[in-house]
Amino acid sequence: MTTTVAGPPGAARAHSTQGREEHRPRKAWAPYLFISPFYLLYVLFMLVPVGVSLWLSLTEWVGLGTPHWVGLRNYRLLATDISFHRALGNTAVFVLVAVCLVVPLALLIAQGLNTRGLRVRDLWRTAYFVPIVVSPILVALIFGLVFDRQFGLANAVLRSLFGTGGVDWLGDPGLAKVSIALVMLWRWTGYLTVFFLAGLQNVPRELYEAAALDGAGRLHTFTTVTLPALKPVTAFVVVTSFIGAAQIFEEPYLLTGGGPAESTLSVTMFIYRAAFQRQQFGYAAAAAVVLFVLVFGLSRLVNRLLGIGKAAS
Amino acid sequence: MYTPPRPSPPTRRALLRGALGLGTAAALAACGDTDTTPRTSGDVTLALWTHDPGYEAFFAKGVPAADRATDFRYHLKVTRSGPSDIVTKLLAQAVAGRGTPDLVGFEIGSFPRMLRGDIAERLLYDFTPDIEAVPGLKEDLLPARTAPFSQDGSVYAFDSDTPMVVYFYREDLFAKYRLPEQAETWEEFAEAGARAHRDHGASMCVVSTVGSDPGQVVQSFQMLLYQRGGAFFDADGQLLLDSPEAEEVLRFLCEGLRSGFVVDVSDYYGAAMQTALKQGRVIGLPMAIWYKNYGLVANVPEQKGRWRVRALPRFTGGGGVTAAAGGTGFGVIKDKANTRAATEFLFRTWLTHDGQVRRFTETGYLPTRRSVFDDPRLGAYRDDFCGGQRLFRLYRSLLPDVPPFHQSPDQSILYDVLGGNLLRAYHGDLTPRQALKQTAADFRDQAGR
Repeated sequence: MTTTVAGPPGAARAHSTQGREEHRPRKAWAPYLFISPFYLLYVLFMLVPVGVSLWLSLTEWVGLGTPHWVGLRNYRLLATDISFHRALGNTAVFVLVAVCLVVPLALLIAQGLNTRGLRVRDLWRTAYFVPIVVSPILVALIFGLVFDRQFGLANAVLRSLFGTGGVDWLGDPGLAKVSIALVMLWRWTGYLTVFFLAGLQNVPRELYEAAALDGAGRLHTFTTVTLPALKPVTAFVVVTSFIGAAQIFEEPYLLTGGGPAESTLSVTMFIYRAAFQRQQFGYAAAAAVVLFVLVFGLSRLVNRLLGIGKAAS
Repeated sequence: MYTPPRPSPPTRRALLRGALGLGTAAALAACGDTDTTPRTSGDVTLALWTHDPGYEAFFAKGVPAADRATDFRYHLKVTRSGPSDIVTKLLAQAVAGRGTPDLVGFEIGSFPRMLRGDIAERLLYDFTPDIEAVPGLKEDLLPARTAPFSQDGSVYAFDSDTPMVVYFYREDLFAKYRLPEQAETWEEFAEAGARAHRDHGASMCVVSTVGSDPGQVVQSFQMLLYQRGGAFFDADGQLLLDSPEAEEVLRFLCEGLRSGFVVDVSDYYGAAMQTALKQGRVIGLPMAIWYKNYGLVANVPEQKGRWRVRALPRFTGGGGVTAAAGGTGFGVIKDKANTRAATEFLFRTWLTHDGQVRRFTETGYLPTRRSVFDDPRLGAYRDDFCGGQRLFRLYRSLLPDVPPFHQSPDQSILYDVLGGNLLRAYHGDLTPRQALKQTAADFRDQAGR
């Protein structure tokens, strides 16, 4: 007689996995090994540079030899450096231009491009997007010619229209900022337009129809339907524009070199100048840490204000 | 018969281990110090870094002469890069402890970075003993051109040029407008220039107002300041800018801008200057001799034969009839296997009499040894662009007036603050006195941080 004793369900599997469990300690490292490249690279290329920057900001280093520990001296000097204050002020202006001018203009253009029945929509979209893919070097060259005081296109146009055109676009401290702002507008608006356009195309048509049935006008529809629906896209665009403008370098570096009289010097240019023109690496690192803290803190604040990451109520 | 068992093929794991081991060994070897045992003869490949293809060609052609004069057989491995990138890359390689060049060309405006801290002393070979070892060389080298590349009595690089500042002018238009070609003083020139501007819309002097390049803005002022006897820094690197000479020169330029004798152009080399030259709005300007090739020939080749060169008019208040602007110093990296070979190469190409003559004929840069200016080959040289003018007669006469140009590690700070204040003075927002005072104050605030 053969008696078959049925074991509890899963017993056989339990028996078979027993051997595997014996090996588990040996193979426990396998998952970590597979994910280790990311962490290694993250530590090597993110945490180490940040840590070194922090440490460097507490030293005086000319770029060769041993850095000398100076504690918080670099930060104290930054606090009294008129040049750094000027750079912070200029950067704040560029941030305001990006957030208060470029972003709304991009939204308006996107709204225009989203109009029903617009012909050659793709052509318009491409036309607005092109400036961002043009090399900054070329942009500087073109706008250098446009804004030239003696022989520039801008003054030639002013001269032919109004009979006056001696505007020193790049040589006057106030106008140089305006020129940079114009280049920012030209370069970034089309890029941000694409984000808004994508957002607009995802707004349900029913909402507009409902608003129309309720008798809402164009402006009212825009403020009560479009803007709330675009909130996540707007938040993303505002934060990225803020971060981008806070670290602006190419436009002022290539067009004005931060001049005249440091009127377009940005904080990143200040850092570059300290490190690679004046060999003050510790001082440059301190300025970079200040910029990091400001950008990080303010972008967190903007995130909170715009409710990024919060579940929709 | 016994047949030994065939060795089993290596497992994949063994292969991987082997590869890892080899890779690690290679990486460690690569990270280790390079051989610094000095080479004294035989084949040597010099790593040359320069920003200018003209220098590359000059050194390549100099190899046979250097081979004949030394125990080495030279080969060159050239890396070309932007002037400021060369210094950045050099310092990065020096920190890495490997990959530095043997011979490196420093554009004069980038060299002050090497003067910060003890960078030059740690990295560059001091030529002083070698200069003294060559009979007569120390006396023959123009001190005005070793000064920019020296620190604490050590010479770290040899200049490519004696870039004298001269006055370029359109002979045809000067004659047409009845302007005095041989006027003795700037003041006479300014008077005639105001008239030329009023009657013909032409200017006889130029200042650069390119905001993106403070060096260029400063250069317009620097040339006349040094001619007048002023300076930015003394031999110890102390600021000398705030002086009566500086104020006089800046006032002269500002008044010239008001009268039209001086015109502001955004860029000496770009489209704006080309337009001004082509339209005859600029009919003369003070500039270093290399400007003929890089500014005039490049922008207005069709004006060949119409330009002439003369000495700068004097300032009635004093000073000389020339200044110096520009230059590139070639130095050797110290404590490397090729340090001796690179030094000998430089001495046998860059500093020989024939080498300096060849340098002028091939690149247009003037000798840095006094005696070479007397070479009959150079004396016979006629410049086609300048209507066949024999320029060396003029250059020889200017030689005693070439002022030394001392550099400071804080020079880029001065250029940044001075560039801005010069523009404000040109615009009339500051008086010359205020601009210089403000510059000195801004410089003191930023230097030494």
